[in-house]
Amino acid sequence: MEPISRRRFLTTTAGGGLAGILATRVPPARGQQREISYLCWNNFAPASDKKLAEIGQRFTKDTGIKLKIDHVSHMGPQQQKYASEVQTQAGHDLVEMRMHFPWLYEPQLVDVSDVVGELEKKHGKAIGSAYEGAHVNGAWRAVPQYHAMFVATYREDLFKKASLKVPDTWEDLYTVGKELKKMGNPVGIPISQNYDSISTAGPVLWSFGGMEVDKDGKTVRINSPATVQTIEWYKKMFRDCMEPEVLSWSDASNNESIQQGKAGWIHNPVSAYIVAKQRKLVTADGINHHRSLGGPHGRHETDTPRHIAIWKFSKNVEPAKEWIRYLLGTREVYDEYIMSGDAFNLPVYEKLQDHPVLRTDPKYAALRGEGVQYHTYGWPAPPSDKVQLITNTYLLPNMIAKAVTGTSPKDAIAWAETEMKKILAG
Amino acid sequence: MTVSRRPFVKRLMLHVALLPFLIFALFPFYHMTLTSLKQDRELYDRYAVPLVITQGPTLEHYAKLLWDTEFLTWTKNSLMVAFLATGISVVVGTIAAYALARLKFFGVASLGTGIFVTYLVPTSLLFLPLAQVVQWLGLSDSKWALVLTYPTFLVPFCTWLLIGYFRTVPKEVEECALVDGATRIQALWRIVLPMAVPGLVCAALFAFTLSWNEFIYALTFTSSSEQITASVGVTTELIRGDIYFWGSLMAGAVLGSVPIVILYVFFLDYYVSGLTAGALK
Amino acid sequence: MAVRADDLPVPRGRPRLAGRVREWLDHESILGPVFVTPALLLLVLLVAYPFVMALYFSMSNAFIGRPSRWVGLHNFIALWDSDVFRQTFQNAFVFTSIAVAFKVVLGIILALLLNEQLWFKRMIRGAVLLPWVIPTALSTLGWWWMFNSLYSVVNWTGIALGIVDPPGPNWLGQRYYAMSAVIAVNVWRGLPFFAITILAGLVAIPKELYEAAEADGAGANARFWHVTLPLLRPVLAVVVLFSTIFTFGDFNIVYILTHGGPINATHLFATLSRQVGIDTGRIGEGAAISLYLFPLLVFVVWAQLRFVRKQVY
Repeated sequence: MEPISRRRFLTTTAGGGLAGILATRVPPARGQQREISYLCWNNFAPASDKKLAEIGQRFTKDTGIKLKIDHVSHMGPQQQKYASEVQTQAGHDLVEMRMHFPWLYEPQLVDVSDVVGELEKKHGKAIGSAYEGAHVNGAWRAVPQYHAMFVATYREDLFKKASLKVPDTWEDLYTVGKELKKMGNPVGIPISQNYDSISTAGPVLWSFGGMEVDKDGKTVRINSPATVQTIEWYKKMFRDCMEPEVLSWSDASNNESIQQGKAGWIHNPVSAYIVAKQRKLVTADGINHHRSLGGPHGRHETDTPRHIAIWKFSKNVEPAKEWIRYLLGTREVYDEYIMSGDAFNLPVYEKLQDHPVLRTDPKYAALRGEGVQYHTYGWPAPPSDKVQLITNTYLLPNMIAKAVTGTSPKDAIAWAETEMKKILAG
Repeated sequence: MTVSRRPFVKRLMLHVALLPFLIFALFPFYHMTLTSLKQDRELYDRYAVPLVITQGPTLEHYAKLLWDTEFLTWTKNSLMVAFLATGISVVVGTIAAYALARLKFFGVASLGTGIFVTYLVPTSLLFLPLAQVVQWLGLSDSKWALVLTYPTFLVPFCTWLLIGYFRTVPKEVEECALVDGATRIQALWRIVLPMAVPGLVCAALFAFTLSWNEFIYALTFTSSSEQITASVGVTTELIRGDIYFWGSLMAGAVLGSVPIVILYVFFLDYYVSGLTAGALK
Repeated sequence: MAVRADDLPVPRGRPRLAGRVREWLDHESILGPVFVTPALLLLVLLVAYPFVMALYFSMSNAFIGRPSRWVGLHNFIALWDSDVFRQTFQNAFVFTSIAVAFKVVLGIILALLLNEQLWFKRMIRGAVLLPWVIPTALSTLGWWWMFNSLYSVVNWTGIALGIVDPPGPNWLGQRYYAMSAVIAVNVWRGLPFFAITILAGLVAIPKELYEAAEADGAGANARFWHVTLPLLRPVLAVVVLFSTIFTFGDFNIVYILTHGGPINATHLFATLSRQVGIDTGRIGEGAAISLYLFPLLVFVVWAQLRFVRKQVY
């Protein structure tokens, strides 16, 4: 064998040569035929991903536009993908975004107000939380696609057995929670560094009339009597209705707790129930949902709307819009897509709210959410990067965690206020 | 009698001393394997005894992993990337290490430190600008991007690990060869490398494992199902929001490690105990 | 030592040229740079630009996807004012020093044991290696499952053996337990690296040295302190250095087990910079977090490497 010549060897290992050789092997991404690529999150329901691929194939057949769908896991990895695609100004044409993300990437996203306008004409106005998430400074930066909201998930069988009243307010929850803990089925609300913790702390705070940052996005409002009430509520919940394990929980823990027959009440989207049903767990039959809880200042709830956005660097904006219209624009296809998601994915347009998917199981009734106001994190402040930093550094759950583990409420609030002010000033 | 019994007792004691290490190393693996073989019903039953399978084992999690996902493609990608990246890094690292350990030339000290310092650059953010470089090279969404970028953290590692091993080879042996008229390259090839085989094997195996386990670059630089590696593929497919498919996730951990362990055992045993002894005689 | 010309691993060309190249390459001042060039080229091409960019980020108010402005050292100064950051700073040192200390001591013991005559040698060595080869992202999930508050097998076993009272420690929810848990997983994962690397160093120590020491009347203890340890020092120094950097930059374990919690008690530089830089998009601040200790690390590495280089015997 002829030894590789030194120079060839050097260039090969140094990268340039290898890249050159390899580059020729990689087929050109865009040729004569129009092709678009779409980065989605893996859906809660695997069947929904399969359905999406199927609709994609039909789209290609009908329009001649090739569609490449890639999946990425959310809860972390997806932000890494967005960041690198924006940084390199290359990657996918379409991306799926959650909640407030269109705000963060606003300058990089195509204005899709025209598409949303058409959809709203057909399906009715987009729901409030979709507006909060994707309608940025007067323009739609992403097209609302579907949503998955938080509801109260509880063990109906246990409640019946002990003749407990289904709670209607956070205070009611404390009353039944004490009994539940005595029965060995405590309430499961995480107070840790995860998203579910924020998703509960927000609604409780809002229901008591509190907020982190005001509508102007500049004034810190955490130091208020409502926050004190929130903390006091959490303290007694932690003491009388829950176990210290909630300080260690991840997003999956509350689901698993109720699925395994421990928790008697959790605050979570319907995923806990659906998975219990799919895995044929013994608890599945006993789990049911009820309407979100309220407080002196109304009934507020976390919502996690999903949207489809188009990167500005995309060279295929029109075909990309065509795909969005294809997927969401006709009632039949949109219904087909929603139905494949087994109530994980709910429609985000007003006329479709009373959707057949809610009738596939009587336990989905609570998902109609009458009288509940849905918001994304940080409400009522607009989701600017600084407000997001407050959310993402878990200031709210950490303030509560401090208070339930011994710090005085006053000190805990003062700590959160200082940290929030530093972030807003920085 | 006493003569033969004492070594036996000593040996037994050795094994007793090893026991805690073995339990520490193996228990998590045992638990993962168990998890991958349990039926969902038992897996999610908090009253079940966690240390054994009581309701009958199942292969459904493996079946799901192998037939419902593209696990085999991802594993193939992982293997290819790991082999190539390791090969490049060991060759480049070996010659650099030899130069830095044995040769005197201008700037040798600062070069060595310089190579090491690149290792300090934190990957948790480096992936962003590196993605730009990958894009310039036209390697976006290609496993070749990984073959090219993994050596950035493997080369400093291999180089410095090997410098350590080259140092353990007594200088005199090499000098003898030089006096006998061998060139430097011959001395390296014939004398130093054979004596440093355990070190080379170590460097290669560890480089291989680092590539095998790498996650951040793999996630950033590849997207298509045909290009991603096993770690990325398995977590993408089996963690869906707050739903974890524990059985199949752990099946992925088991399938992703057993073949490598066999490879390791084979190499380690062969080289560490066999060849070195020969080389030193 | 007779070596035939065609055995040589030098590039071939016309005979005369080959001879000249060969002669040429025998000069240390030429061979050295030639041997180092591939490594340097690779690193300069692929690390230099990203590194400069990261440096720039850290000194700007960069936000992903928006124009950025140079702010000098502002990020570094502002960070010191942040509670989370100071906590992270402290965590990183506690985590790294304890984890590395455990790995060094346990690693040496394990390597010495593995170097003895053992039954089932292959199997034992394979077993010891397992933690290192299971893909990290997945093995850490496995540990999370083991520490899971609901059916923590660790607590279950502890209770069954009567070591702990039910319900057992709240592993990931209490600050000291959480730190112990992430350290334990790090040690579990990193121990094989130490054991096997040191083992390879042990095997390379010439037997004659031990025989000579024994002839001088040195006991097992003395042999360890006066023969084994000094000869292991170059390998050990490099391994410790690498491990310190690995451990210091650890990301996966904390990210999966605790996400930095409870109340930031386990955040490390990598996880915090990820939280701020990528999850929130404030890439400038994130870069500053991850580069905060870069100067210190460079100094430590420089000092340590000087030490390694002096270990010539």
